[in-house]
Amino acid sequence: MAWSRKSAMFASLAVALYLLGLVLRNQQLVTVAVVLLSFLTWAAFRTSHADVSSSGRRLDDLQNDEGIELQNILAMRKVSSSRIFEDGEVDVTLRLQNRSNTSKVLEVRDRVPEVMRIKKGANYVLMELGPQRETEISYTIETPLRGFYTIGPVCVRVQDAFGLFHNEKEIHLYEDFLVFPKMEDIKDAMIKSRVPKIFTGAVNIRNPGEGSNFYNLREYIPGDPMKKVNWKATARQDGKMMVNEFERDAVSDIILIVDSRKISETGPVSRNSLVYSTRAAASLSQHFLSRRDSVGLVIYGDEITSVDRDTGKKQLYVLLTKLAGAMAKGNTPMKIVTNRIMPHINRGSPIIILTPLEDDPTIVDAVRDLRSRNFDVTILSPSSLEFEFDARRLDRTGYEVLKTERDILMAELRGLGAFVMDWEPDMMLNTALSGARGF
Amino acid sequence: MVDDQAKLNATAHLYDSKTMRSSAPSRKAAAGKLKQNTEIPLDAIPEVHIPGWVESIFGGPVISKMKFLPPDRMVTSLQLSSSITLVLLCFLTFMITPVTGTAWFALSNMIGIGFIGGLFHFIIIGIGLIGGMYGVFQRDQKALLVSYIMLIIVTIRFAGSKVEFGLSFLPEGEIAQKLLLILYAIFLVMYMELSSGIIRFSMLDTSIRTGEVYVMGIQKITSRYHRSLLIAPSIAGFVALLTLFINRIIPAMVSIINPVSADRLRESVELTSVYGVALGTIVIFTIIGGAFAVNLPLRIQQFRDKQS
Repeated sequence: MAWSRKSAMFASLAVALYLLGLVLRNQQLVTVAVVLLSFLTWAAFRTSHADVSSSGRRLDDLQNDEGIELQNILAMRKVSSSRIFEDGEVDVTLRLQNRSNTSKVLEVRDRVPEVMRIKKGANYVLMELGPQRETEISYTIETPLRGFYTIGPVCVRVQDAFGLFHNEKEIHLYEDFLVFPKMEDIKDAMIKSRVPKIFTGAVNIRNPGEGSNFYNLREYIPGDPMKKVNWKATARQDGKMMVNEFERDAVSDIILIVDSRKISETGPVSRNSLVYSTRAAASLSQHFLSRRDSVGLVIYGDEITSVDRDTGKKQLYVLLTKLAGAMAKGNTPMKIVTNRIMPHINRGSPIIILTPLEDDPTIVDAVRDLRSRNFDVTILSPSSLEFEFDARRLDRTGYEVLKTERDILMAELRGLGAFVMDWEPDMMLNTALSGARGF
Repeated sequence: MVDDQAKLNATAHLYDSKTMRSSAPSRKAAAGKLKQNTEIPLDAIPEVHIPGWVESIFGGPVISKMKFLPPDRMVTSLQLSSSITLVLLCFLTFMITPVTGTAWFALSNMIGIGFIGGLFHFIIIGIGLIGGMYGVFQRDQKALLVSYIMLIIVTIRFAGSKVEFGLSFLPEGEIAQKLLLILYAIFLVMYMELSSGIIRFSMLDTSIRTGEVYVMGIQKITSRYHRSLLIAPSIAGFVALLTLFINRIIPAMVSIINPVSADRLRESVELTSVYGVALGTIVIFTIIGGAFAVNLPLRIQQFRDKQS
């Protein structure tokens, strides 16, 4: 049984009056103290009367687990989905059963992660649960940030009518779910290349696109370039204009490198380099995998986590799961990352690096090494300068100085032949990509 | 020269866990020196409401994050009953607490202006009343605390008198005096409880209306509170009666066995004095403590569970 501040105040007042009464041999003071003490005792008696022994189970397990020992309060929870994207919603249903023969007034709070917002319903319920009755609480939470999350435990509290004492128990019922980074739809920023086969190591796949191998003939659509018109076929079709279609050149391996060092979390919780990088990596993975490319991922922070190249939908979920769990930790230099991965990737494969380009003296060397081995390097750099400037942590002079330094570093990287884009917070990923590739 | 160049290009040091410095100065370090404002951005702070000291005294099941919404029926009825209790309490206080024996009375007599003591005494009760009224209707927690303190100061004034009351027409008899005292103490406790109930239920109502909390069967919860408001003071009054009248209860019990000893006990100075009351308190609270020690509340519940 726990005391509230109010009961402590009442108790100290009562004891003080009682002692004062005894010392001064004053019956009036003792009388007031006795009434206060009696009031407190009655409230305490009523609170301890409420038994809150409880247990918890997932709703799905209920059917298979009828033999479990019955206890007084039973909680079961069900969530609508265990995998969800940022800005998605999870419906939570909490069922509470009172298996005793006495009615209980309960305060129930289903603990949700602090970053989550309750969109509909409430996770905090005050109720009277009759004997052998059950009730259901439903609420919807919004998931604004990627990560691994847990709902629970369920806190059940019983207190006396005056709020003087309370009994509290936690029902250890937990539900884990995963929030994937939000994905932006990338149209064809990478495909609209001026050079048909941008990357070496490409394989032809049976999909029409901007490639070099003939794929099919089709009718002319206004807007098609005249150089694509197949005049011989047009002549055979009695003047109906026909154009050549080419197979798209697929890129065999694409490596995404995400910087998750401690510094990448500089800025507000929802607007920092790591958030932008993970979202971009998720969008790029989806885009390339839908093109049947093979995508690999390297996340480096305090350690280097990599996902080997693969294709398909399963690979997308593997990548998204890794991105969801990326934590801003450590300060591994990029040079170590590139040294480790370079022997394992095909020479000439495109490498997309998502980094704030901060506090890493090895970046220039790392990019130089990659370029010297003919890798196609694209650097998307979410500008944490802008995040901090927006958050008013940086004044104008500081911002200008640091911006100049950043521009110099990027110019140096561009000089090495890397495609570099200073990704400002309000810029769409598509725009940033196009900017990096110079379109 | 060649060695120096080789050293510059070597990357082995990267694997030796050495700290490397960027050619450009660290932006973080510069930001630390140049920033104007160290304010943490709003979205970096989780929305957790930490109740203040006063809030946690008055807070009920839920402590609302925002200002109270207009009072609902429950709060209005509590405000009404609280204000009535306060008026009655102040009237009782005025009746049973004379200015004589107080520090301010002594001080005013010392400077030779006797009525100042009375005026000061009246002012304290007045602040208790006005502060309480303001706190009750404005739902101002600090004003309520001030009112409590003022009324307790007047209560402590009892220390200055033995059995003397403020007004001469009040009963002189022991039983009537004790009953009046119990009534006063009950009114004091009820005023404190009702006024803090206003804040608690306002917080709860605001939280319900803002969707922070959902309440199932609010009628049952409020009726439980109303029931407790009737039961708790009655119980407290009854226990106080038992304690205060221990000087009559013990001789009555002893008289069954030994009437002579009972007569001696009735005449005992100790039993009729404050020590008798202390003895009564010990007896009553030993019984209650015993009930807690054997976890009687839980056993009663288990028995009821088995019965039904």
